[in-house]
Amino acid sequence: MMLRENVRMAFSSMAGNRLRTFLSLLGIIIGVASVVAILNLGRSASESISASFEAGGLDTVSIMPRGSARETMIFTEEFSYSLMREIDGIREVLPVVSSVANVRNGQEIEEGTQVQGVTSGFFQSNSLSLSSGSFFTALDNINRRQVVVLGSVIAEELFPAGDAAGRYITIFRRNQARSFLIAGVLEDRDASMGTTYNEAVFMPYNTYVQRFRRTDQVGTYVVKVAEGSDAIAVAEDIEVYLNEIAGSDYYRIFSPATIKEMADAVTGTFSSFLAAIAAISLVVGGIGIMNIMLVSVIERTGEIGIRKALGAAPRMIRSQFLVESVALSLSGGLIGLLLGSLLSVAAVSAAGWTLHVSPAAVVTALAFSLAIGVFFGWYPAAKASRLEPMEALQRE
Amino acid sequence: MSAVIALEDVCRFYVVGDTVVHALDGITLSIEEHSFTAIMGPSGSGKSTLMALIGCLDVPTSGRIIIDGEDTAGLDEDALAWIRNRKIGFVFQHFSLLPRLNALDNAALPLLYSGVPLKKRRERAEEMLCRVGLSDRMRHRPSELSGGQKQRVAIARALVTDPQILLADEPTGALDSTTGHEVMELFHELNSEGRTIVFVTHDGSLASECGRIIPIRDGRVAL
Repeated sequence: MMLRENVRMAFSSMAGNRLRTFLSLLGIIIGVASVVAILNLGRSASESISASFEAGGLDTVSIMPRGSARETMIFTEEFSYSLMREIDGIREVLPVVSSVANVRNGQEIEEGTQVQGVTSGFFQSNSLSLSSGSFFTALDNINRRQVVVLGSVIAEELFPAGDAAGRYITIFRRNQARSFLIAGVLEDRDASMGTTYNEAVFMPYNTYVQRFRRTDQVGTYVVKVAEGSDAIAVAEDIEVYLNEIAGSDYYRIFSPATIKEMADAVTGTFSSFLAAIAAISLVVGGIGIMNIMLVSVIERTGEIGIRKALGAAPRMIRSQFLVESVALSLSGGLIGLLLGSLLSVAAVSAAGWTLHVSPAAVVTALAFSLAIGVFFGWYPAAKASRLEPMEALQRE
Repeated sequence: MSAVIALEDVCRFYVVGDTVVHALDGITLSIEEHSFTAIMGPSGSGKSTLMALIGCLDVPTSGRIIIDGEDTAGLDEDALAWIRNRKIGFVFQHFSLLPRLNALDNAALPLLYSGVPLKKRRERAEEMLCRVGLSDRMRHRPSELSGGQKQRVAIARALVTDPQILLADEPTGALDSTTGHEVMELFHELNSEGRTIVFVTHDGSLASECGRIIPIRDGRVAL
């Protein structure tokens, strides 16, 4: 009953001086808005990073040999089998070779196109699908047939009419031109983890080896982790094994799962850091509330005197002013929450992410503003409650 | 008739800088139930201090104050607030209404501190505003009321908890003489209904309207 009355009085007092109320709330509003925006953005960023990693295959570990030293001679096709033998939790190892070539259809020439030699399992492993035609098969690989699958963009550029499947393209490499049948065209697929599918040309691994390559070295091993195995653990095992047989200078290992873990840690640290800075502005906002409450107590000394004369006990005066300060800070918190949410929506859509509302942001915003109201309102309220009634009345 | 207010050798000293001001210096008096008493004295005589002490707005440096049989010495703030709420109705010279509340809520305010539910508070305040002749001004704020009307709201507020004592500090001091007379008449009516009224004034002609005059001079009862 008293509480309802106090809330009513608080809002009537806030409404009595709108500009001043608003100005004293600015600190809290800005503080809460930035905490909310930062937490929401942090979460949205990490969710969209996760999404892009998942698209890139969290069950994938890539090994890229580098250097031309003797050690790299171990990275042959045979290495695929030894990896399978030595490391637990691997479903398959797909060797990938690639180079850059010019590709032509009639007058249309695409220079610097990435040509990759992959096994037929590659498409399924990367969840790639076709928009027309078919994939090449294991038999095509064994027979070293001159067939290719085109990424969506390169298909579009070489065959603007969209009729690529079943036609032929010419691939130039080392002054040789070879003709390839287009088996199929891939669906559009966002680039992820440095792999661009849309601009690449894929041919059977063995065809590539026979037609384009002079050494036995494999470009990349795409290791698919068996279901139920942890990609990060497999990546670590591979690393240990590679350090034994080759040394760390001669390969790079790349696993979306490992990178995701790092990225999560970084975004997590970064947003806690920013949130901590924003929390400082909450404290500043709290001081603003305390300031306005102190002014209000001084201004309303007469009112306090009247209320005391009419029989208000000290605790009643205290709760009146405490409720007022909480009402102030909670209003600021709610406005800040609204503003922060609008900011998050705007920033997220500008960054091209999807908004993931952080429940922690909402809870933090409201809990903090409540706590600020109580903490910074306590002293002014206590001061009001301790005023001597007669002195207070005389200052009316 | 029994004493509803009794003071025994009450002193109130203030320390101002190096000097001790003897605002009240040994006051002994008693005020009977249902009486209409004027405490009269020039400004600086200590009459306002006396009123504050009788109203439990202040505590004496020494001496005893008994309100309605209850010795107020040693009572804590909460207990004093309770006495102010239940036993005493204040009427101040400058009305002391809260500007943001309308007449009804102003008059109902003491009941908030008695813990009376809102509906009952309003009913009771309405009753009191009708009693003082303001039934058509209940939703008006103090700024929309004349001086006489404001003082009537203040009187309704003083009556709302049904206290034994009405303590009025120069209640006509801020009013013109016609309105002042109307307010005085209202006090007489309330007194004839059995309310004890204590009137603080410097105005001899007003004091002469009261049943009894207690003259105060230099912090003492002047004989």
